Amino acid sequence: MPNFRRSVWLLLAAAGCWLLLLLGTLSQGHSVLGLPADWPRWLLLLAQGGFAASVFLFARVQPNPLVGHGFLPVLRRLFWRGLILTTLLTSMQVLVHLADARTLPLPGNTTAAVAYTINLALFIILLAQTLYVWRSLVGFRGSPRLQREWMVFELLLGAALLFQLFVWQAPDFLRVVIITGLGLFGVYLSGHQRWVAYLSQGQKVQAILLQLGVLGFLLTFLLYLRGAQTNSALLAPTTQQAFLVLASFFAVFYAVAGLLVTLFNLPIADVYEQRRAEILSLQQLSQIIQRGQTAHEIYQALFASAVQTIHADAAWLDVLPQPTDPAGTRPAPILHELAPADQAVLQAQVPALLADGQPQVVDNDLPRSQRLTGFGQPYGSAAVLPLHSTTHDYGVLVLLKKEQSGFDPEDLSILHTFTTQTVLSLENLQLVHEARVSQRAQDELRIAALVQERLIPKHLPTDNWFEISTYAQAAKEVGGDFYDFLHLPGQRLAVLIGDVSGKGVTAAFHTAQMKGIFHALMQPNPLAKKDRDRYPDPQRFMMKANEALTHCLERSSFITASFYLIDYEAGGFSFARAGHCHTLYYHSIKEEVSYFRSEGLGLGILRDGSYGRHVKNQFWDYNPGDVMVIYTDGIVEARNASGDEYGEERLAQMLGESFYQSAEEINRHIRHDVQEFSKNLPLHDDQTLLVIKFKASQPQG
Amino acid sequence: MGPIMKVTAQPADTTLTLVLDGELDASSAVVLDTELNKPELLKYKKVMIDCQKLSYISSAGLGVFISHLQRLQDSNVKLVFYNMQEKVFNVFEILGLDSLMTIVPTEQEAQTA
Repeated sequence: MPNFRRSVWLLLAAAGCWLLLLLGTLSQGHSVLGLPADWPRWLLLLAQGGFAASVFLFARVQPNPLVGHGFLPVLRRLFWRGLILTTLLTSMQVLVHLADARTLPLPGNTTAAVAYTINLALFIILLAQTLYVWRSLVGFRGSPRLQREWMVFELLLGAALLFQLFVWQAPDFLRVVIITGLGLFGVYLSGHQRWVAYLSQGQKVQAILLQLGVLGFLLTFLLYLRGAQTNSALLAPTTQQAFLVLASFFAVFYAVAGLLVTLFNLPIADVYEQRRAEILSLQQLSQIIQRGQTAHEIYQALFASAVQTIHADAAWLDVLPQPTDPAGTRPAPILHELAPADQAVLQAQVPALLADGQPQVVDNDLPRSQRLTGFGQPYGSAAVLPLHSTTHDYGVLVLLKKEQSGFDPEDLSILHTFTTQTVLSLENLQLVHEARVSQRAQDELRIAALVQERLIPKHLPTDNWFEISTYAQAAKEVGGDFYDFLHLPGQRLAVLIGDVSGKGVTAAFHTAQMKGIFHALMQPNPLAKKDRDRYPDPQRFMMKANEALTHCLERSSFITASFYLIDYEAGGFSFARAGHCHTLYYHSIKEEVSYFRSEGLGLGILRDGSYGRHVKNQFWDYNPGDVMVIYTDGIVEARNASGDEYGEERLAQMLGESFYQSAEEINRHIRHDVQEFSKNLPLHDDQTLLVIKFKASQPQG
Repeated sequence: MGPIMKVTAQPADTTLTLVLDGELDASSAVVLDTELNKPELLKYKKVMIDCQKLSYISSAGLGVFISHLQRLQDSNVKLVFYNMQEKVFNVFEILGLDSLMTIVPTEQEAQTA
């Protein structure tokens, strides 16, 4: 560490100079260590100057105390150091008084001289500490120009060390002019109190107390030095007046100015201007976000705000592709004054910097950096901020400044606020986007439900020999149950009911398909010789339907269906059951309720020619007053709160209670009972219930 | 809601027994489908399904068996169900699957089937 070695050398130089100064002071009036007495004045001034220069340079090479600390800890540290130095001064004075009382026998000038030299050293140390804390405060959010001005101030102070050595013959007025000029420079620099704007009310009180303390210590030392000059017992050479006066003047004046600004919130210079600019950019950022613009606009707003507020010399916002972006595209990065070569440098090195998941990476000393190297431009400091939420990486913001130590904690906290706000708004945008997508899906589902609604026969066939009543309820938006009627010539009626396995849109699709198959198969065959052969019989219907479904039904899906062909003139009906629920029947002559228990395999289970063997035609002669109840498993498998199924038995019982009523009343009676059974429970399957009641033929008209 | 059915495979020489425990519906059907999809299943001569603890089967559950029916037949693997509760058997019966699949009352009958 070169900095460390430099510090050690400076401390050694300071110690050497101080020893020389001590010996020189002791030599006033008598000989020391066998050397001639009264060492020349220039040697003492040189020793003093050398000591002051070493101590100041030592303080100068220490890292900026503000980096990594707040204002108050820095002030507090200065206060404690001042307190220790002042305590040492007081102890020295007590020792001197003890020596005066002859409790410590020492020759003549010795006590006063030693005490004076030590105290002078303490004072110079205090001055150096104070001055460099003030430097960090002056430089806080300062422009590069201000940093140059400070350098000039330091050089002039250093030059003042040489004043006493060489220019002591200079005319008085010139000295006054130069010293006044330097003083005014100090006053100008004291105007830079921007840090005060960043203190909270409570911190201000503490800052005032700490500054008062530091001011007190400085004044104590100044009072002592004033007394020492008139001390007759002390044979000391003149001090480095010009330097000490100027340095103390600045130290005291900056403290006083800071106090005034803190106390009265004086709007000195641009104390509050920057703060306001930051608040304004944050507001702008929030506004853009609230307008719910595109992600690109949000990135642009963040970028502009960050670059402006931080006064970055160059910047780069690498935007990562998002799932909502079109596939394969990578959003263009956003740049500010960044050479393509340097962008490539960042592109290569930034991912590694953020690999350990740090919220931000700051390098305030790029020329000596191990992490970011190879820039074409002489950048001094860099800040790297990832934009990420817990679930998403949105991108990386990199800001570069030419000066070193360009990013202080305040800058980072502002940047952090910006990035947090940005991530929030990006997430918000994504939520809005997702909501829109899901809204669209819902809309489409609603349309599907409407389409399916249209597929349900609106106009029930009516005739004087039967009554039909229907009820259908889907568990979701769209269902897998279907039914249809077709009134055929010659007082015949075709009835189809069915249930597609599975739920949702897939099932709904197949219901539409079944309707299509039904109407296609029920076209009259013009080649049929007999009128009865114009339409397929139920078994044939099922075989054809199974064939049609073979190529489009998923392997694990199947369809159950029952198909009835009722012939009024024949006074009977034929039907086939393809795995569908057994038909419930009220036999008016036997006055008996029973199920048609017949065999029959569901559609889509066997997909070769063998299906025909598993489905049969059944025939039944009906009588007026007979009732047929056709339904889907949503009815008999309806559950109650304790998980019991409604069941075939209860359904049969309901028909037994209501067979004498009209089809509509029977239907209502059954469905009320089913609803009562699974009261307060969500529908877990689609329900369809058809009731057909045969009537004695009424003469028409 | 996780799968509410457990499938335990009990391999023997030429027979694999799958013990079903719980309700076989759309969510638990995946578990059974994974089991039936395993290539080594086709090494056996017979796959016996113990339905004693199968309390419910939905159409999605039936779909799993239906979708594997052809594949097992083509590989000459016999699928035999036994110990089936009446309620579950009714579901097989209504759909007409009892005419396609071997469903026997007891394990002994399943062994000899």
